[in-house]
Amino acid sequence: MTGRRRWSLTKWVSGTFSVFALLALAALLVLFIRQSLPVWRQEGWGFLTGKRWFYRQEEFGLAPMLHGTVAVALVALGLAAPLGIGAAIFTAEFLSTRLRLIVKVAIELLAGIPSVVYGLLGILLLRDWVYEAMERFEPLSGDTLLTGGILLGVMILPTIMTLSDDALRTVPASQRLAARALGLNSTETVLHVSLRQALPGLVAAILLAVGRACGEMIAVFLVVGRQDNQWPDKLFSAKPLLEAGQTLSTKLGSSETNIAYGDPLHWAAMVALGLVLLALVTFITAIGVRLQRSPHET
Amino acid sequence: MKLAILFPTLLSLSAAAETLKINGSTTVNLPVAEAAEVLRAEKKMDIQIDTQGGSSGGISMLGEGLVQVGMISKHVSQTDREKFPKCQYKEIQIGEDAVALIVSKDVWEGGVKTVTKEQVADIYEGRIKNWKEVGGPDRRIVFFNKEPGRGTWEVFVHWLYGDPKKAPQVSFPEVGGNEETRNKVASTKGALSQLSSSWADGKTVFALSLKVDGKEIAPVTANIASRIYPLSRPLFVLTNGEPSGESKVLIDFLLSERGQQLVKKHGYLPLAELKAPETRP
Repeated sequence: MTGRRRWSLTKWVSGTFSVFALLALAALLVLFIRQSLPVWRQEGWGFLTGKRWFYRQEEFGLAPMLHGTVAVALVALGLAAPLGIGAAIFTAEFLSTRLRLIVKVAIELLAGIPSVVYGLLGILLLRDWVYEAMERFEPLSGDTLLTGGILLGVMILPTIMTLSDDALRTVPASQRLAARALGLNSTETVLHVSLRQALPGLVAAILLAVGRACGEMIAVFLVVGRQDNQWPDKLFSAKPLLEAGQTLSTKLGSSETNIAYGDPLHWAAMVALGLVLLALVTFITAIGVRLQRSPHET
Repeated sequence: MKLAILFPTLLSLSAAAETLKINGSTTVNLPVAEAAEVLRAEKKMDIQIDTQGGSSGGISMLGEGLVQVGMISKHVSQTDREKFPKCQYKEIQIGEDAVALIVSKDVWEGGVKTVTKEQVADIYEGRIKNWKEVGGPDRRIVFFNKEPGRGTWEVFVHWLYGDPKKAPQVSFPEVGGNEETRNKVASTKGALSQLSSSWADGKTVFALSLKVDGKEIAPVTANIASRIYPLSRPLFVLTNGEPSGESKVLIDFLLSERGQQLVKKHGYLPLAELKAPETRP
């Protein structure tokens, strides 16, 4: 760049567009915050910590839905992270460029399947499978947080896999050659060089996938049971996983959104749910993007 | 995700103004969708029909002017009218339906065929948790509650408590449309839910009789028509003011001989078989 800073037409036009995008985001936030004010006024922080949601009695607490969201996301991660990163190690480290691209395209196609299709598969296969496989723990039905989590795991697998693959490929080949020259075998090279150097990118892959998992609605909606007020007796126990639950996004997708319209307080509560979900997903995604962009110094 | 929401909205905005849009209850949807099919073929009408949010979805989308006709399986409440003061809701009854309490096969074969109102209230409020307490197998009761806003749910709590607002605070797994309810009850042992009686097929899910004053009353046509079976409800299509134009064509068809045949075909009572059609302003 020379010292002359001339603003060309292209720069002006594209600049205006990005300002519009930012304005739209700002307007959205302002609108959400304004419309949710009544519920914050009534419930205060209790909106976040409250364990009861009975809209007819005007009680609004989202803690059980937050628990549901976290539980479902953790199950999904527990399944998809090892599988996705494992598969990425294979494609990035051991496949030829051509084969790698073919596998990658196939897996990215999976990411493009509409989520309602996953949901229907969940109803057809997963609900009954969980119901039968977990029979000795006596789940009331196949609609459980676990079912939702497994389904989400399948859905975020392509995201984790393809982003991890990208992360691993940013590790320069010279690093691997050096490791091999020092006498490390291929396993040791992967474990001590590639994985270690790609670590921020792998964490980013996981976080971006979690971001998607938290916002996912329809597939989870169909298999999670949508039961309100399911705050567990013990916070870190696996038992609630076999019970029906509700997540922030399934609540937003429920019939209550229709009912709430026109009732300022109830509507505010639903909008505030959206705001919390937006904040949660934005926060997780922002960390992910930040990690993803951090350069690998060579 | 955002695009997926935006695009249909944009498309529907740009669509021709003559498109007749309908939304509401899955129960009322059955005959109306078939009527729409006929009108598309015979009169080349452009009709979009959907069941987002059940009856409440029909009421709110008509109130917001997003559709021209709502389908509801409950009355428009005073609260609804206050929410949408600009909308002159007009209910037009096209038939009558009963809400059945349905159970899964293991419960039915385990001997539960009849329940009393008190037993149902005890189950709903969590005092009865096992089928053996009502003469069935030793199995926990899995109650799938119809989600709020569904006509089916409102008829149910109206029967139990007189007014949806008086219903106690309970939390159960929720189900939405009739298909979902039937499938979930059929595939879960010890299951119980509320369902439009025409969907209770007697093969995958089974409709319980209600014991009233020592008599067992099944949700069958004769009992619904004479209103002996207590859980019945009118089925309406809903317009903003007097129906006109395309809406009127649809409604006239629904009230005609052929339209009423469709109502009957889907297991509901046509108006002619009703002893006393409900009227309310």
